[in-house]
Amino acid sequence: MTRAPSEVRRAGLFRALFFGAIALISLLFSTGAHAEPLKLWHAYRGDEEKALLEILKAFKGPKVEALALPADALDSKLASASLVGEGPDVFIAEHHHLGEYRARGIVGPAGDAFEGDAAFIAPAVRAVRDGDTVWGAPLSPKCMALFVNDALVQKTPPDLEGIGELAGKLPAGVFPLVYEARNTYAHAAIFGAFGGELLTKDDQFGLAGEGAEKSLAIARGLIEKGAVPDDANYNIVKELFKAGKAAFVISGPWLAADLSDAKDLRYHIEVLPHVRAAGQPMRPLITVESAMLTKDGAAKPEARALARWLAGREASEVRARLARTLTARADVPIPEDDAMLRVFAAQSKVAIPMPSSRAMQAVWDPANRAISKVMRGDAPPDVALAEAKRRFDLVRRPPPPEASSTPFVIAIGVVLLALALMWVRGARRGDFAGEMKRSLPAYAYVTHSVIAVGLLVIAPLAVGAATSLFAGNLFGDASERKFVGLANFIDILTAQGGELLTTGSFYVVLLVTLLWTVLNLFFHVTIGVTLALLLSKPVLKLKAVYRVLLIVPWAVPSYITALVWKGMFDRQFGAVTGLILGINDLLGFHMEPISWFARFSTAFTANVSTNVWLGFPFMMVVTLGALTGVPQDVLEAAEVDGATRWQRLWRVTLPIIRPTLAPSVTLGGIWTFNMFNVVFLVSGGDPDGTTDILVSEAYRWAFTREAKYGYAAAYSVLIFLMLFGFTRWDEWRKRRAEDRDRALRAKEATA
Amino acid sequence: MASVTVRDLHKKFGDTHILKGVSIEVPKGHFAVLVGPSGCGKSTLLRLLAGLEEATSGTIHFDDRDVTQLAPRDRDIAMVFQSYALYPHLSVRENMAFGLKLRKTPEAEIAARVKQASGMLGLDHLLDRLPKQLSGGQRQRVAMGRAIVRRPSLFLFDEPLSNLDAALRSQVRVEIRKVHDDLEATSVYVTHDQVEAMTLADVIFVLNKGVVEQAGHPLEVYARPATRFVASFLGSPSMNFVDVELARDGGGWIALGKDELKIPIDPEGFEKQLAPGKQVTLGVRPHEIELFSQSPTYRTASESGAPLTVSIVEALGTESFAHGKLGGSPFVARLDPDAQVKKGETIELAFKGIHLFDKESGRSLRDEP
Repeated sequence: MTRAPSEVRRAGLFRALFFGAIALISLLFSTGAHAEPLKLWHAYRGDEEKALLEILKAFKGPKVEALALPADALDSKLASASLVGEGPDVFIAEHHHLGEYRARGIVGPAGDAFEGDAAFIAPAVRAVRDGDTVWGAPLSPKCMALFVNDALVQKTPPDLEGIGELAGKLPAGVFPLVYEARNTYAHAAIFGAFGGELLTKDDQFGLAGEGAEKSLAIARGLIEKGAVPDDANYNIVKELFKAGKAAFVISGPWLAADLSDAKDLRYHIEVLPHVRAAGQPMRPLITVESAMLTKDGAAKPEARALARWLAGREASEVRARLARTLTARADVPIPEDDAMLRVFAAQSKVAIPMPSSRAMQAVWDPANRAISKVMRGDAPPDVALAEAKRRFDLVRRPPPPEASSTPFVIAIGVVLLALALMWVRGARRGDFAGEMKRSLPAYAYVTHSVIAVGLLVIAPLAVGAATSLFAGNLFGDASERKFVGLANFIDILTAQGGELLTTGSFYVVLLVTLLWTVLNLFFHVTIGVTLALLLSKPVLKLKAVYRVLLIVPWAVPSYITALVWKGMFDRQFGAVTGLILGINDLLGFHMEPISWFARFSTAFTANVSTNVWLGFPFMMVVTLGALTGVPQDVLEAAEVDGATRWQRLWRVTLPIIRPTLAPSVTLGGIWTFNMFNVVFLVSGGDPDGTTDILVSEAYRWAFTREAKYGYAAAYSVLIFLMLFGFTRWDEWRKRRAEDRDRALRAKEATA
Repeated sequence: MASVTVRDLHKKFGDTHILKGVSIEVPKGHFAVLVGPSGCGKSTLLRLLAGLEEATSGTIHFDDRDVTQLAPRDRDIAMVFQSYALYPHLSVRENMAFGLKLRKTPEAEIAARVKQASGMLGLDHLLDRLPKQLSGGQRQRVAMGRAIVRRPSLFLFDEPLSNLDAALRSQVRVEIRKVHDDLEATSVYVTHDQVEAMTLADVIFVLNKGVVEQAGHPLEVYARPATRFVASFLGSPSMNFVDVELARDGGGWIALGKDELKIPIDPEGFEKQLAPGKQVTLGVRPHEIELFSQSPTYRTASESGAPLTVSIVEALGTESFAHGKLGGSPFVARLDPDAQVKKGETIELAFKGIHLFDKESGRSLRDEP
């Protein structure tokens, strides 16, 4: 589109005016702070969101802009917004994130937003208070309780063991109890009966000692008896309860919300039973939803007033009425007619607040692994717990000592100097200025792509590499970040000072990654080439249909495929189990359904199967293309020469397509080496992190182990160096073969 | 070395009938050439001999062995392809040794045979090269070498010269015949080039529309074409044809054509089939023509020559070709290079030899010898 010059000038003038006006408006607003609306972020949906809007309507203060975010996006959005000072004034989140928020400088003290200890129930106060400072205004506690199927149960046994004894006495296929047995959050309720806390006061791993071992033994006993399924996740809990296949389940108010569409299900909720062995009631973890203030918000009286209003009596009553939310307030009576709220209220009185210390983040992964291991029967409780503690300590280790950055600065300086020297030498040779002048238009053409590649590829790469030289929280205060030189690399390469060949050490993960890559490539190539050979047969009918069908696995986004395959490998509801049961029925076999993610071999097989499914179409398509380059008459010549079908394939077809396939195999190798989706989504490293590959391990260091970004970046740099080395070697090998070829010809020519 | 006997061979691809009952006989050690225009079925016949296609019906025998149903590898043949079909990933040496290796021939034997073949073809210095590093002629020779080392009982050639330039073509043509003679092999060679056919063959098979129109020694076929098709296919420039009516002229015969054309006919060899008033096609090869004024024998038979109005003269140095119309048909006459003929001139021609064909069937009217 071309425009007349006058038009362009007018457009320019208009734009100047427009931006001027915006600048003026923003100036006006920033000076008149009282006119600015308050910003509130939350993750409510449905009735809870309706209740919130109702509450905001009655708020006497400045206008409030409420923004609903997906629950799992709230955290990251807060983190990134706080970096650029764009966050809300008030946000609603669960209290156990406070440690993280405080470390990242997201949250500010609640001040007068908190009405005082007396206004709230004790666990809620404990959840938000740290010493003299209160970090939020509690809104609503959430914890697990016991859901009872009335059709299956007349009288609830007095204790957990009693429920376990129902095994065998219920209709076939009905579990006495279903809960997420491998999940630390759920198991904490049993552990709580022994008075244990997941994190000690001084931030040490708490799932240890006699109580922890006993709690695990009890849980394992329930599974051994067949009273509890060993691999339930939330969906299984929900579906089994809905289907009447569970007499009792342990879950939270969120399950009640999800049961609203199960019209035929008659159930009620009770306080969790006692644990006979402990002589104490089960004590679940409680999380307290609180209104928190950002640092900016904490400075604004209106924002504090809003938080106080959200946690106030009227607001609590609105939430109870509209969303059946349990209040954290001590002075708001529970509605007499709401049995469910009364049960949850009673339960929260004996619940244990989830620790809000940052160290809690490092608890989940080791604890989950240890509990899974015990539930699978792979290790006795004491061994599993000792290992978990070692893992926790590994993550919680103090960062390496600060190193001097001088050697690095010097090294970088020398490299830059050398580059500059080379450039100058190149410039002095020949007509540099003239050449430069002649190439100027060429440079002008490529500038934009150089900038784009620089910003989008080179810069992140450089920042990533630089990150690997730091430790501490890279996104919080500068005081928490320190330069540690190559300490991260040394740590990784020495397996954190432990044995070099233990689970999770760099070398073992590298071995797994190599095995993973080689196996996958082998199957990708064999299956892809075989199918391509079949598809290229001229006699085959409906070729186009098969071709499309075979490309489908490739066309579907890989994470969807990965999730579908994970579902298929589910021991209880998966298609593979269905197949095994079907074969049993049909042929009278007695094969046991396989618990795919309980052993390395099967979990690894599941991962490889998924990735083979994802990867063979690429090789097939490449091979199909390469096969068009195999001349028909060469194959006929081989036939006349006496080659069998098999010999023609191995001695003619494959050698001819090999050069075309080689780059794709290299590429496939790199993709597979870094195939995060499948490993993370299918086995998720199960069992016990053994199926993790280098990238998923790097991910865990960055996102599940106290945000050790420097450490994760060091992993990435190592991965990068390995792949870089591999491609260089590949290239070098090829070039050497070519050189040899050329030398040979030169020799012939002179001879 | 084997003889080849093909009996009543048919080949259909779907509804397309390519070969419609072909029978050929190649004696041991003979060089047979299958020749014909594109689509006549000559390549299909060769592929059937090789076993690359399956016969719809009919039989193929090598000596007494019925090979009709055998796979190529069991027929003991070697084939040279039009595109050479060298294995692109193998060196010249490996290309030549490929078939022997597959047959588990001892290494020493392979080396000896490759050495012999490469010596014969002048490939010694190229043995370690890949096909892509060779020129067209060199590739052609490698393809030959690959066939030679196998020492098969039958060589098959599928237009092996058509991808070479003209100069190289005549050179390699000679080499092929030489190799055949040295090896005392039996060869079947497909071409659409009648020069190759004439020069190489001991026995020639002219194919047209899926049938053998004529078989025999090339000179015999050239001299006595059995059909108008064969007559037109062999010889360059090809034979002239003029529609005429036979008539008696005193004791002899004459052919009367358009534009008052009147040609005396020597009835020798045609006696049985001549009849007054019969519509026939008269054939004259351009090379069997001279100027009336220079032909004493012709002048005794006729008072005038056949008039040709010249539209183009092609002077090639060794000879000249005068193009024009004669008796209403396009006509070419070969003249001596010193004949002073100009465009637009009408010249009188004398015919040294003529062929007569039935106008309907195209069959030669020549009496069977």
